[in-house]
Amino acid sequence: MPTIAKRPGELLWFALLGAGMIAGAAAVVTVLIKGHGEVYNLTREIPWGILIATYVFFVVSSTGLCLVSSLGDVWGFEKFTVIGRRGHLVAILTLLTGFGTIAMELNHPLRLALYAIISPNFQSPIWWMGTLYGFYMCCLIVEFTSLMRGWTRTAFISGLAGFFAAITAHSNLGAVFGLLEARHFWYGSFLPIYFIVSALASGAALTALIVYFNHKARRLELSPQYEEFMYTMGKLQALFLGILLFFVIWKLIPGLYGQPPEKYEATMAMLTGPLAFNFWFFEMALGILIPLAIVANRRTRTVFGVMLASLLSTIGIFFMRYDLVIAGQMVPMRETEGSPHLLSYIPSVAEIAIVVGALATCLFLYTMAEKFFDLEGGHRH
Amino acid sequence: MKSKRFAIVLDTRRCIDCKACTVACKAENSVPLGADNYRNWVTEEPLRGNYPNLGQNFAPGQCMQCANTPCNRVCPTRATGVNQDGIVFVEAKKCIGCKYCMTACPYNARYYNEETEAVDKCTFCSHRVYQGQIPACVETCPTKVRVFGDLNDPGSEVSRLLARYPTRVLKPEMGTKPYLFYII
Repeated sequence: MPTIAKRPGELLWFALLGAGMIAGAAAVVTVLIKGHGEVYNLTREIPWGILIATYVFFVVSSTGLCLVSSLGDVWGFEKFTVIGRRGHLVAILTLLTGFGTIAMELNHPLRLALYAIISPNFQSPIWWMGTLYGFYMCCLIVEFTSLMRGWTRTAFISGLAGFFAAITAHSNLGAVFGLLEARHFWYGSFLPIYFIVSALASGAALTALIVYFNHKARRLELSPQYEEFMYTMGKLQALFLGILLFFVIWKLIPGLYGQPPEKYEATMAMLTGPLAFNFWFFEMALGILIPLAIVANRRTRTVFGVMLASLLSTIGIFFMRYDLVIAGQMVPMRETEGSPHLLSYIPSVAEIAIVVGALATCLFLYTMAEKFFDLEGGHRH
Repeated sequence: MKSKRFAIVLDTRRCIDCKACTVACKAENSVPLGADNYRNWVTEEPLRGNYPNLGQNFAPGQCMQCANTPCNRVCPTRATGVNQDGIVFVEAKKCIGCKYCMTACPYNARYYNEETEAVDKCTFCSHRVYQGQIPACVETCPTKVRVFGDLNDPGSEVSRLLARYPTRVLKPEMGTKPYLFYII
């Protein structure tokens, strides 16, 4: 292996990904042998855990990547054509990883494949979620193939369809939570809209990360075109993070104002309760405030600064997903004397291993794709 | 002929928190062991007063067999269904284990049964009811807290109780239109 011998960094990278994938695979095998009940820390009151949060994180990433990378090939912003191929490829990979993660959360993913077709419930947001993300996946595959083959017309049409499919599928994912009247913290039209906004922040961050680390791995200097792209992504991130902050604040205020039952308890769980560290440190500081300060300031909005801001906001966005999913279930649906006012959930080792495995698999697939596909060509200059 | 509409009327002042209903249900419906596995429950309401003048009520409950069912609405594969008589059921072979119905139910009336590999819930013991018997929890209760019957029959005991006493349902603001009525 002469190439690897020359690149110890690459060897280390594959070793890390391999370790992550082995941990994930071991957890998957344990689940298949022992069953969900034995291995996951889920209860009848908190049936959705970190795997649902991870699924949401990956499909948000996919949506964001699709929306941002469509700006070039669909909406004609020339600067963004450099990310067209990579953006759509990673959108496919993150979506696949998301599907894999939710398959591990579902007790019977194979039954879903059968009964979603022969016994569909058109009223169910989860049925629409499967259908819309399936259609979205087809659009992404056609678009990526078209971009690789240089079929400009097909790329435009599938890109346009993919753009709207992404928005429809992703806002519907918000509705999976938002249409549950029983869960006051989630219920309402806020989440479908918020999911789109956070997808944009996620997409802007991930495209910048892809560009930066792709050059780093090849030990290449960024061309002026890519440098310009990074600065643009920095400015876009400042905008998206600012809007995201606005959404976070307006999510909190109605949860506090007048102490609305159940919504108030869930909001307080995030502000001062068990999720407070996640919220203040990961969501607010790492996820929004520090990256916003970096990209909003012209002096720190360098290539490295934009990468750093993107990395921090991506980590923060993962915790946003986690907190959102868990906070919505922490208030008991039925209180009994002596029972806790807030339910608790801590992911099991196997659940965390599956999350690590999913991330490692996604990064591994992307690393391999970089070796097999010419992702650089095809820009309209 | 008008179909039946099954309901339970509960007089919680009679409940002594013996949990015989939960035990009978577990035995009748092969509910697996485990703290999370149950189809019905007894809620302990807060203590009233100060020592030595104390009081406490207990409120048994189970699936409310709602007329406006959030669980049925969200199930992606129609594994949850509603019979004409109002009994809400789960068809195990269609359940994909997404647990959406569990998050949608405002009463925490559902759990995942690892043995049947599907979400499980109270069916008013439909297998007994369709053979002319009453649900196990109703039959076993030593103080007769629960009364089961057909609300479409004006002469049934449940109809008479609802006419005689004011009742309440749980979480009426959810708009689920429950068919478990608690005598006030």
